[in-house]
Amino acid sequence: MSEVAAKELRIVGFLCNWCSYGGADTAGVGRFKQPTDLRIIRVPCSGRVDPMFVVRALITGADGVLVSGCHPRDCHYTDGNFYARRRLEMLKRLLPFLGIDDKRFHYTWVSASEGAKWQQVVTDFTKQVHALGPMHQK
Amino acid sequence: MSTQKLKEIIKQVLPDVETVICWQDGFDKLNVTPIFITSPEQADKVVWNPLCAQNLASYLPSQKKKVAVAVKGCDSRTIVQYMQEGLIDRDNVVIIGIPCKGVVSKKKVQKAIGNEPVEDVTFTDGSVKVKTPSGEKTFAIADVCPGKCASCQYPTPIVYDHLTSEAIKSDKPAESVYADVAELEGKTLEERKAYFLGQFDKCIRCYACRNACPMCVCQDSCIAETREPHWITQKLSLDEKLMFHMIHSLHLAGRCVECGECERVCPMEIPVAKLKKKINKEMRDLFDYTPGVNPEDKPPMYTFNVDEAKIKEHKL
Amino acid sequence: MRVGVFICHCGSNIAGTVDVAKVAEEARKMPGVAYATAYMYTCSEPGQKEITDAIERDKLDRIVVAACSPRMHENTFRRTIMKAGLNRYFFEQANIREHVSWIGLDKELNTQKAIEEVRMAVAKVMKNKPLFSSSFKINKRVLVIGGGVAGMQAALDCADGGLEVVMVEKSPSIGGMMARLDKTFPTVDCSICILGPKMVDVAQHDLIKLHAYSEIAEIKGYVGNYQIKIKKKPPYVDWTKCTGCGLCMEKCPTKNAYDHFNFGAAPTRAINIPFPQAIPKKATIDPNHCRQFVKGKCGVCAKVCPTGAINYEMQDEFITEEVGAIITATGYGLMDIERLTEYGGGRYPDVITGIQYERFLNASGPTSGHIIRPSDHEEPKTIVFVACAGSRDKSLGVPYCSNFCCMYIAKQAILTKDHIPDSQSYVFYMDVRSPGKGYDEFTRRAQEEYGAKYIRGRVSRIYPKGKKMVVKGADTLLGTQVEIEADLVVLGTAVVSAPGAAQMAEKLHISYDTFGFYVESHPKLRPVETNTSGVFLAGACQGPKDIPASVGQGSAAAAKVLSLFSKDMLESDPAIAQVNQNTCVGCLKCLKTCPFQAIVEDILRSGKKVAKVIETVCAGCGVCTSTCPCGAIQLQHFTDNQLLAEVNAICQK
Repeated sequence: MSEVAAKELRIVGFLCNWCSYGGADTAGVGRFKQPTDLRIIRVPCSGRVDPMFVVRALITGADGVLVSGCHPRDCHYTDGNFYARRRLEMLKRLLPFLGIDDKRFHYTWVSASEGAKWQQVVTDFTKQVHALGPMHQK
Repeated sequence: MSTQKLKEIIKQVLPDVETVICWQDGFDKLNVTPIFITSPEQADKVVWNPLCAQNLASYLPSQKKKVAVAVKGCDSRTIVQYMQEGLIDRDNVVIIGIPCKGVVSKKKVQKAIGNEPVEDVTFTDGSVKVKTPSGEKTFAIADVCPGKCASCQYPTPIVYDHLTSEAIKSDKPAESVYADVAELEGKTLEERKAYFLGQFDKCIRCYACRNACPMCVCQDSCIAETREPHWITQKLSLDEKLMFHMIHSLHLAGRCVECGECERVCPMEIPVAKLKKKINKEMRDLFDYTPGVNPEDKPPMYTFNVDEAKIKEHKL
Repeated sequence: MRVGVFICHCGSNIAGTVDVAKVAEEARKMPGVAYATAYMYTCSEPGQKEITDAIERDKLDRIVVAACSPRMHENTFRRTIMKAGLNRYFFEQANIREHVSWIGLDKELNTQKAIEEVRMAVAKVMKNKPLFSSSFKINKRVLVIGGGVAGMQAALDCADGGLEVVMVEKSPSIGGMMARLDKTFPTVDCSICILGPKMVDVAQHDLIKLHAYSEIAEIKGYVGNYQIKIKKKPPYVDWTKCTGCGLCMEKCPTKNAYDHFNFGAAPTRAINIPFPQAIPKKATIDPNHCRQFVKGKCGVCAKVCPTGAINYEMQDEFITEEVGAIITATGYGLMDIERLTEYGGGRYPDVITGIQYERFLNASGPTSGHIIRPSDHEEPKTIVFVACAGSRDKSLGVPYCSNFCCMYIAKQAILTKDHIPDSQSYVFYMDVRSPGKGYDEFTRRAQEEYGAKYIRGRVSRIYPKGKKMVVKGADTLLGTQVEIEADLVVLGTAVVSAPGAAQMAEKLHISYDTFGFYVESHPKLRPVETNTSGVFLAGACQGPKDIPASVGQGSAAAAKVLSLFSKDMLESDPAIAQVNQNTCVGCLKCLKTCPFQAIVEDILRSGKKVAKVIETVCAGCGVCTSTCPCGAIQLQHFTDNQLLAEVNAICQK
């Protein structure tokens, strides 16, 4: 079991290879400072992100989940993010019904050139999750 | 509606089909069970009364040849959804539609009679009389019906080839369909969490809800019982139970026709349909879509619009 | 399983803020890891040798490198392990530079994050499966959609390179926008004089098959093997008989048909040949205006046609062409002038667009090259050009610059002086954008040699006053308001995407941006490719651009196609979806959601219906995998189990 430093929470990110992962790389190249909580999983397309991954992550120990893909209309695979948008919006509305604060899940669209936006997303989302505290009481 | 009319229609369609699926008396007076009719004599065993809760449309995807099936309004939504998803060939099904004013929940009746053995059950318009060793009790059907009947919007089947009686219009307000969802939405996040975790903790993972669900067509390939892929384990913990119900609800997103079978069969009386109804409510609000109503519709999770009027980008 | 883990120092790029030795130490403890080390520059030659040596010495069968982004060096390291005899897909790269060392300052937290990213990569690589490419044949014919200058250049270069070309053009003639121009900047070359020979080359080239007045109805297939369904629209004239003599046009009694070629600058006959140099030079009837179609009686053209080519009964004809690659050169559109309400667009006849003015300037245009005011046909003396009419305006949904209006307005100002020596032109501009070769000198000539008065400021209103149009604007360099009474106003209207661009993109399975321009693979490094293999872009459909840029892209697209076809077989990417036909229940949800229609129905010998992936079409997006309820279809290299391994590696309570 990994030891998580006391000041960190566990945030899982699903980033699409073509846009958002590139955007995160751009943020890195630009040395845009971000909190360290985020752990990134690369997927080819945001359409690959089954809502069940988000649920699994939250149930098994993540405190927050972030999904990011190409802007609608710019999907490398044309339609992938259109499906992602519908499915993730549905999940976003379902989670609070179940008693999981929907502020623990965020999905957004960041292109490969938007390094500054990526920095903003990570910083703001990490802050948002910290404000909610750990998902599972130890 | 006379059961006689139903029997006549069955005998009429029997020559054209492999089998007719309907209901017959069960092991006691409070139970009915499906019957697969292949001869006119068997047709005489058919019953139609408020005990006929089973959704017989569930049998359709596995039928290889042409069959006829008796369906209530709620059951017909299953058929419409199958048509949307291409799971049946409409030309291979003869639909005997039965307009219905409501069925009874066996569990509610049993509770109301203190779980005594049932000697006889008779129905009059709007009420059911149950005879037990300690006497007779009469209940209004509206008091012992499952939740779905209290808000039924489709008392008359939506698709059919034969109708056993006059079509009935719904007298229940449309808002009543998601009234239970709205009630939970009015509670706090913590209250809802406690509610659902408490309910799902009762789950024994018998998978009866999954097996009874007409939209679950994965059968032996079900993702809940495989390691390829390995989504959930057999570990007996609340996490895994919650995961199973989330998987089931997410797979039914925009597909659940609210037939209520899942809740009817759950041995632990868990309100398993609540999550699915919540998702349906969101499907209606987001995409103006109701499952199982229009055969030409496309289930919302398997299609998209380039511009989604109701989905706004979330700001942090 | 013996996993080897290599933590890269990347000089001080990573080692500066991450304790790489500690990461390697922790990696050694991870289940499945047989060897872990930290190295200075893993991508260098000695660095790669470290890896291949370790594979051989320690019998490693899977490799993780924790270094820069996999978007940088994944292929590099895949080749490395391939040389050591391992399958390329037994490799994972953890990004601890762009995503860790470069964005965080706390060494302890960075190290912890790096350890977890390595843990995820190890968990994933242990679930990876070996994948193998397969080869498939390609059809070495190319489809060019659009017969403008970009499309023609692409077609000619492909044909000269020995490829068979099918060109589809939706207008009755090829030539596109360039055919409508009078002269071209900065050389003031006669446009049709330089374009005409190209058009003839296209028509006469043995390897180019031209379908004019045709549209793409449907595109099926995948790179190397497309089936294109083409709708040939009925011109109501048998083009095998028509000689282009023009007698029909002379005698046609309907004189007020909308002239598409002239952008409505002047009306035309219901039957017409669009312009004298049209290729094919054949007549077409516009059924919306032709009396025979609208009222049911006329037939004059049929009577006078010397070859009896008129045929009112013609129908749409559908043909299929098979090609291996597609070049999209569908061009651009112009903003509807009626949106420019403050300028009186569409309301006042003497407020016209740049392209309409171009047609007046053109000697073969509707006024035979005489510039006239549309209202009273008199010669204008004061002409006002309004640049950026619609462009660079967020409120109109066009925030971008239209690329060539500054240049053509300068050209039109110069030509105006040539046509009407005693005229005075004014140009209202925001900036003068003249970046090309000779461009800036050209715009200066317009001002210095040809006396055009350039006023830096925007026009706020244009309204009629008697016979004139008052143009009210600002002169920001002088700091005053300006009012000019113009005889004619020319608006440099914004360039927008071509009509029907979105529908065409959907047929091609390519992306388009908010403005309808097609999206290239990489804005800097791959301007003529799209993310759909086999489909290339050329010209203004990718974004507003002038003639040299369009021609350049036409040639570039042709070069890409020639390079694609330089091999006889193409290798498919094996990281695609695969169906487990035992667990597939045949619900076919994957088929319905695949963005590339790469999945088909298959019936097994047992009669069971299952899904099947067409390997060469699957692009590897994974939508099918997230759609499948039973997990039977899995995107290889990003399967559910592989991604779950990563999730489980991070999330443990």
